[in-house]
Amino acid sequence: MSRGPRRPKAFDAGKIADRLPDPVRRLLLPAVVIGLGLLYPFYIDSLKDFAVVGDYFPSLNSMVIMVVFTMMAVGLNIVVGYAGLLDLGYVAFYAAGAYTAAWLASLQFEQVTFHFGSVGVSEDLPGIHISIWLVLIAAALFTALAGIMIGLPTLRLRGDYLAIVTLGFGEIIPQVVRNGDSIGGFDLTHGTFGISPIDSPGFGTTLSDAIGLPESYRVAENAQELFFWTALALLLFTVFCSVRLRDSRLGRAWIAIREDETAAAAMGIPLMRTKTWAYAIGAFFGGIAGAYYASFKSGAFPADFYFNISVFLLCMVILGGMGSVWGVIVGGMILGWLNVEGLATIGSNAGIADVPKYQFGIYGAIIVVMMLVRPTGLIPERRRKRELEEGVHDETLYGTSH
Amino acid sequence: MSEQAGDGVILRLDDVHTYYGSIHALKGVSLEVREGEIVTLIGANGAGKSTTLRSINGLNHPRDGRIRFGDKDITNDPAHAIVKMGISQSPEGRKLFPRMSVLENLEMGTFQRRDKGNFKEDLDRVYSLFPRLLERKAQKAGTLSGGEQQMVAIGRALMARPKLLMLDEPSMGLAPIFVEKIFEIVREINEQGTPILLVEQNALMALDTAQRGYVMETGRIALADEAKALRTNEQVRKTYLGETE
Repeated sequence: MSRGPRRPKAFDAGKIADRLPDPVRRLLLPAVVIGLGLLYPFYIDSLKDFAVVGDYFPSLNSMVIMVVFTMMAVGLNIVVGYAGLLDLGYVAFYAAGAYTAAWLASLQFEQVTFHFGSVGVSEDLPGIHISIWLVLIAAALFTALAGIMIGLPTLRLRGDYLAIVTLGFGEIIPQVVRNGDSIGGFDLTHGTFGISPIDSPGFGTTLSDAIGLPESYRVAENAQELFFWTALALLLFTVFCSVRLRDSRLGRAWIAIREDETAAAAMGIPLMRTKTWAYAIGAFFGGIAGAYYASFKSGAFPADFYFNISVFLLCMVILGGMGSVWGVIVGGMILGWLNVEGLATIGSNAGIADVPKYQFGIYGAIIVVMMLVRPTGLIPERRRKRELEEGVHDETLYGTSH
Repeated sequence: MSEQAGDGVILRLDDVHTYYGSIHALKGVSLEVREGEIVTLIGANGAGKSTTLRSINGLNHPRDGRIRFGDKDITNDPAHAIVKMGISQSPEGRKLFPRMSVLENLEMGTFQRRDKGNFKEDLDRVYSLFPRLLERKAQKAGTLSGGEQQMVAIGRALMARPKLLMLDEPSMGLAPIFVEKIFEIVREINEQGTPILLVEQNALMALDTAQRGYVMETGRIALADEAKALRTNEQVRKTYLGETE
């Protein structure tokens, strides 16, 4: 490649970058999107009335699932997009989060009766029943810890090797869950039956009487709205943390490692610690999402935690644009929609039965087409875009223009 | 023995053995760098020059022997701790962050520094050494010419305010006019007070720049002397200077 044509291109990119920090662009669009999202329950019914296209708008229930999966994708993006660590076992964190909720807010451990801030269950119900809000925090911390424990031995590996080991962990966790109904006679996971029911989120009678917060989501009249808004709030929290992290010292260290690990080490970036942080933080959000989802559908089942979920989440990240938070949200919502109802709706409207049966073939085709047409994703991260467009110039460019 | 104040030894390698897997790459290397000097390490490809640097900076820990920096034993310290103590480097092949701008690359150099307050001052120093980088500060490092990339690599190492600067083949792949310039700047950095350990294949330039030199051969120090003496040494002339003159 000659250096001539590349120079002006780099300058152009700089000019576009200069225009970006425009506050209107940066804040207005997200504000509008968030506003439209929050108000979705109010106009969904009118949307559904539209001829032809009306069918394609997802129900509130589907939206909850889409938002939760998008949240996981944004978490995975920290590992894959920011730090460049290919993680094929993210489902392990989803499972860890879901089972934390199952342990701390269900009838599973009926040997004990422990209640702390639980809502919607009678006081003398056996098992551990802790407020879902606290469970979300516990799940996040437990999963982050699991991330560190999985990360410490594996993150010494690079590239493909790391991918293979994470793939292994992604397989091990569901197997442990599946067979964990008699660990030395102790029923930890209730095996293939899974753990169900799981308590609902809510604010209890005191807060309900005092300031009108919903007592328990599941029995509330507007249960779907409540679950949806809470999911949206959790997603926004994830996005906020994600953006702040990206612009932090740690975020810069992740990008440095992604660009060149040896150079990063030479700059004094502690590789293991920095990578483990990426893993732990990615896991943290996966754990919250898993716990919330378990509470939403009132159960944690081993069949939910298969390898294809990891790949599915990875597809969301790739489709949206690795490293780009906004891109991953778009990718996550699109694939999430196709998964929960889009494909079925398309199928039934087109008169073809069984479209969802071919879902993974369809996602695969989408990714292949994306790679051909727009390899940087729907909304590319600026830096990533350069990587793919210009290739990696780790080798020296021999220049004499002085 | 060596730790008395006043002898000015800042870095000392004592019978260092380093391996790559089962390959015995360094077979007992001993050398020292004192305050204020430029010390060069010359030798053929594969003699162990870069391995020596990798042993010092913690990327390849020695299996045997000791490395002292100031009065601390850093033999088995991790790479980031060593950078924090004040050894920074321009690695072999420059190893820039190609998609980061020149300025972002320079910022990465300060990663382990606590006194970020002097950032501007250090940046000005780098820009005054390499005015070219000021012009190019917003440009992606990967799109720079080889010489400019080398400037970024050295500048980035300087941003760490090193107590010892290690340069690995700063002249590699550069046009002759650029090589001259880089060595001029190396001297300038040294005159501003930073001791430098310079690894070079361009033995002629290296010996002209340094005060002392070590000649490496197959993982050992074959010769150690004043740079001037090495410059006129029969064996060195034949083996290492023959090609360049």
